[in-house]
Amino acid sequence: MSTMEHQYSENVIEKLASEPKNFWKRFIIFLVILGLVIWGNTGSNFNGITEKGMNVAKAIVSGITHPETLLLFNLTSKGIPMLLLETISIAFLGTLIGSLLAIPFAFLSATNIVPKWVSIIFRSITMLIRTIPALVWALIWIRVTGPGAFCGVVTQSIASIGMVSKMYITAIENLDTGVLEALDACGCNLFEKIRVGIIPQLSASFISTAIYRFDINLKDATILGIVGAGGIGFPLTDAIANARWNRVGAFVICLVLLVIVIEWISTQIRARLAHGRK
Amino acid sequence: MTKHRDAGKKEREHDIAMAVEKEEHKHDVKTKIPLFDRIFKPEHIVLPNGHSVDRPRSRMPLILLALLIAIIIAARSTGFDFNLLLNRINQLGVILGKIFNPNWEFFPKVVPPLIGTIKMSIVGTVIGCVVALPVSIFASSNINKNRPSLLIIRFIISVVRSLPAIVYAYFFVLVFGLGTFAGSLAIAFFTFGIVAKMLYENIETIDMGPYEAMQSFGANTLQSFWTACLPQILPQFFDNCLYCFELNVRNSSILGYVGAGGLGLLINERVGLRQYNDVGMILLTIFVVVMTIDLVNDYIRSKIV
Amino acid sequence: MIEFKDVSKTYPNGTKGLQHVNLKIEQGEFLAIIGLSGAGKSTLIRTINRMIDITDGQLLVDDVDVMSLKGKELRKFRRKIGMIFQSFNLVSRSTVIKNVLSSNVPDMPWWKTLFGIYTQEQKLRALEALDKVNILDKAYNRCDELSGGQMQRVALARTVNQNPSIILADEPVASLDPIIADVVMSDFARINRDMNITILINIHHVDLALKYATRVIGIRAGEIVYDGPASEVTQEVLNLVYMGNAVPKSTDKIEIEGMVINND
Repeated sequence: MSTMEHQYSENVIEKLASEPKNFWKRFIIFLVILGLVIWGNTGSNFNGITEKGMNVAKAIVSGITHPETLLLFNLTSKGIPMLLLETISIAFLGTLIGSLLAIPFAFLSATNIVPKWVSIIFRSITMLIRTIPALVWALIWIRVTGPGAFCGVVTQSIASIGMVSKMYITAIENLDTGVLEALDACGCNLFEKIRVGIIPQLSASFISTAIYRFDINLKDATILGIVGAGGIGFPLTDAIANARWNRVGAFVICLVLLVIVIEWISTQIRARLAHGRK
Repeated sequence: MTKHRDAGKKEREHDIAMAVEKEEHKHDVKTKIPLFDRIFKPEHIVLPNGHSVDRPRSRMPLILLALLIAIIIAARSTGFDFNLLLNRINQLGVILGKIFNPNWEFFPKVVPPLIGTIKMSIVGTVIGCVVALPVSIFASSNINKNRPSLLIIRFIISVVRSLPAIVYAYFFVLVFGLGTFAGSLAIAFFTFGIVAKMLYENIETIDMGPYEAMQSFGANTLQSFWTACLPQILPQFFDNCLYCFELNVRNSSILGYVGAGGLGLLINERVGLRQYNDVGMILLTIFVVVMTIDLVNDYIRSKIV
Repeated sequence: MIEFKDVSKTYPNGTKGLQHVNLKIEQGEFLAIIGLSGAGKSTLIRTINRMIDITDGQLLVDDVDVMSLKGKELRKFRRKIGMIFQSFNLVSRSTVIKNVLSSNVPDMPWWKTLFGIYTQEQKLRALEALDKVNILDKAYNRCDELSGGQMQRVALARTVNQNPSIILADEPVASLDPIIADVVMSDFARINRDMNITILINIHHVDLALKYATRVIGIRAGEIVYDGPASEVTQEVLNLVYMGNAVPKSTDKIEIEGMVINND
């Protein structure tokens, strides 16, 4: 409306006076975040791109746009197909074993299954497992198994337990106990109750969790090679270190495609598990 | 109440979007029989009262067979060796024993790289999240009606997501030199990939009613989105950012491996020297920091959601 | 003044939304549009602010040919037409006053929109709009704390705050219980009377339509089959509009697409 004098009623003016003052609160939050970012930048070593850096950047771009196609069809253990297979295998076995190992952990941590103190003990164990990054696990396991893909499998089996069991616990704690009551009423024993009442409820979400973890493990498996735990990671970092950019390009493109395809498939399967067959 | 609303909505949609409904209807009629059911014909069960039902064959045997083959292939290609594991498992005990007996005197040496890691994570997370917000708006199908640009943006997000942070770190170390800047940038890329995807999935589930209302009184697309949609996604957005920050602190400990600053360098060095008590101290520190961040996050979450 | 001149709307799949509609609506009228689901009520209303494009004929609003408007002009034109939805279309996470203020957004510079900064004047006007629909005390509550009737009144306040000359309401009371529906309708009537705003309402409840509207339009399969004062709507008229089906009342069960909904 125009600036023309308009008489507002008293209760309207009164109400405006009671307006909660959010502005300063938000402004302070904004300042805190800004301050954190500025603090985070102190000691950062950005001094512009050096000429050498510029050249490397150009070489990377040209390598990725001109991948070494020969590697794609090299079927020996140094060619991309075998390396990808090895990477997938590590992730697959690691996920399979990890998600099986997570089942007892999950049941022993679920507050609706075991007493509180048991659940606290097992939750702490999974928490500890989660805290050690996958790469550190790999460094530890290498001392046991020696370098190679097998180390990757063992690493992922253990590293998966933390997250997977956490998601299992949620599923278990959301169990619909009404079904168990109904089965009790039918006179079922414990085994029958587990078989008919619990497994069907949990299997879909457990499998879905495992497939989700497979996605993550696949991505992790590509970096385990850096410390010598097999997969495509080592040849990739080796090629980067030796500035063989065309080879790096081939690796990166295949890696990206693999991850995108697997992610797409796993999303489809999980959607189907969640909503049933259409 | 909600039933009312649903019914009314349904009716209105019927009224204004019959075109769409008809398309969907066409789709319904042509339900394809899956290949599996054509090969393994469903069992035809006839009840005593003459009613009949088709029971599709279980897919379980096929799935199990595929799983078994996959296990065999994977075990062979990774050189799976259970005996080796059993024989040398005591080694693990030794190492873990040392890790769980951290060397407290090492703590002062952990602090400076830890602060570097946290700084790196803060800068990377903020940059990644800030860039992710506008990009994800154009990656959601309910806001961006231009299909080609939608697919291109989503593809870019997917590509960014699919590379691990450490590969970015490696590239940036080569381009920008050793240090935390490369690490921050790597974290920013990683964060962008994750947050953008979570965000556009989130945007696609919001209530578009207020957006429609804004359009009805003459707001343009950006004004409508900003005023009607943003308040709906903001809490989830901040939640995702916090989650990502925690993830980044956890993960940035490994970025040092390729020289991108932070704790990774220290871990690498100590493991190389087999000083597992020191490694234990580093891990304990990370654990405490992550737990603290987790607690703070929970507090902030309870405030915003 | 709104003028339909032989307006037709055919959807891309061939469905006829409107057929040869001729209508003249004077400023300040209170129109109720009745008819079965899918008869074209929503289409009729949405053509006026061009949420739906017409395919034939001419539609004039205050002597402006609606179909000639584009982009910025169209948005400017929509500023003076308010719209009310069945599902309220409020941002449920935001406060009531923020929702009301959102109708100022199209007139604001971008940086004010960016930070959501409104002037004291705008806030006072928004509060006044809330006062007009008797919901001032909830101004700083979040919308998801309100009941359906209260939310619809907030939506009405948002529209009033826009200072429109026309309000289009698409089934505004269909999600409300009969008593609240009556209250909301009386709010519409008061605004129509006090502010001389033209109001067009799509409505299923014939009794409410007859009670509050001054003029009733009956629509069947996209065609106008009745147009006259509310006082002259007889049983025959209703039979004509509803093709002999039972006439829905606000206290009846109404059937929508085979779904029986109890209205209380």
